[in-house]
Amino acid sequence: MTAKLDLYKVHKAEYVAPKEPVLVRTKPARYLAISGQGAPGGTRFTACIGALYGAAFTIKMTRKFAGKQDYAVCKLEGQWFFDGDPAAVPKDQWKWKLMIRTPDFISQEDKTTAVDTLLKRGKSREVEEVTLETIDEGVCVQMLHVGPYEKENETVALMRSFAEANGLKLSGPHHEIYLSDPRRVPPERLKTIVRVPAVKQDS
Amino acid sequence: MKDSAKPATLRFYKERLLCVLVHIQEHLDEPLALQELARLACLAPHHFHHVFTGMLGESLGSHVRRLRLERAASRLKLTEMPVVQIAFEAAYETHEAFSRAFRKAFGLSPAQFRRRHGVGARIQIPSGVHYRHRKRPGSFRAAQIEDKTMNVTIKNLQPMRVAFMRHVGPYNEVGKTWEQFTMLLGKDGLLGSEPQFIGISHDDPAVTPPDKTRYDACVTVDEKFRANGEIGVQVIPGGDYAVLTHFGPYDKLGESYAKLLGQWLPRSGRRLRATPCLEIYFNTPENTEPEDLVTDIHAPLEPK
Repeated sequence: MTAKLDLYKVHKAEYVAPKEPVLVRTKPARYLAISGQGAPGGTRFTACIGALYGAAFTIKMTRKFAGKQDYAVCKLEGQWFFDGDPAAVPKDQWKWKLMIRTPDFISQEDKTTAVDTLLKRGKSREVEEVTLETIDEGVCVQMLHVGPYEKENETVALMRSFAEANGLKLSGPHHEIYLSDPRRVPPERLKTIVRVPAVKQDS
Repeated sequence: MKDSAKPATLRFYKERLLCVLVHIQEHLDEPLALQELARLACLAPHHFHHVFTGMLGESLGSHVRRLRLERAASRLKLTEMPVVQIAFEAAYETHEAFSRAFRKAFGLSPAQFRRRHGVGARIQIPSGVHYRHRKRPGSFRAAQIEDKTMNVTIKNLQPMRVAFMRHVGPYNEVGKTWEQFTMLLGKDGLLGSEPQFIGISHDDPAVTPPDKTRYDACVTVDEKFRANGEIGVQVIPGGDYAVLTHFGPYDKLGESYAKLLGQWLPRSGRRLRATPCLEIYFNTPENTEPEDLVTDIHAPLEPK
């Protein structure tokens, strides 16, 4: 049996996240994704997480059952889209894209088959909204945020100064990789990789 | 819960375990009969070792080995029995193995120990239970709650219908069963929107041989799911459960079980129900470092 593929280990350099900002160069990466609007933990948000994991597990296990290359389902990630200061936007208007990184060999057909399987099982319609897409973030400022999500603005401020000191500016969107499970890990111990694409200041 | 209920349950569990300790000391030369010990403790066999380990601060196996060594030490001092015979009666098959264990416990070889004056035949243990020639243990110190920040909550669960695959073999190999089980469920679209991953251990790895320990890997399913092939269906009983979150590797789960069942439970005013404990997993070793694993241990309680 071939060893299980772990994308975070294969692309280790893209997941370097010390407690101070660093520059990482990311390559285009494939994700299963679902977009929406609403407060984190709200009905729509929760349904989308369920749909995303449903697709991720079904694709993986269908391939595994067929004897194809096995891989670990990666952690949940999210992109957040704000015009201006997030603190000024009511939570129910927050726009996000939830994502799970997926190997390049996963095809649209794999995804379509999985969605059909899930719908036949009576899973909610959100699974039809799951997309398979490639995201190219290029050069990013990245660091590990330890603590509640509400305090991420402090981390982002550090990242912004770091970018400026390096002749760059943050261009967004704001990307989070959730290393801890907020259902059990206390807020002060939550670990999240924060990644924000950056471009040259004069561009 | 009335405060007065707490010491009563502590007394109850201490009295039951004292019966067990007396039985052990009276049967030091016999193999351990888990069923009998659990019956004396008024506990289900699958709960017994957690309560014992938590309250006594050592596992049943270590307890018996220690008492046999203490008895051997006392015989070296008080009798003329040959060392080989003492070793044999302490359940060591060779003199060398006995000497090694003895030296580790007392810092002296059996022969040196026999000649030396003023060295005691006791091995330090917080419970204060020691071998005493022809005397039954009269009491013991129940382990205190060592972790003051231990956060136990009581949850009332609805019965859960689960698909499960039975694993028979060493507990450290349940990962293989999970791989097979989640593959079969996952290809049929049964994983995803918040399925709960639950583990049930039916045996005591300290007593049951590793190739015979039983474990059920479970995933919650709806009414439409039917058992097929290796996958069965069972309903996990609802009711009150004491819940402790275990952070860290699975091979350290036993320590959290012992804290919950042996330290928290006797002071809680609640009694254990005979149905098995549950483990609910929040993440997976597949993409998580062992120290970041999160598991909720659920101990079933009798109704108040």
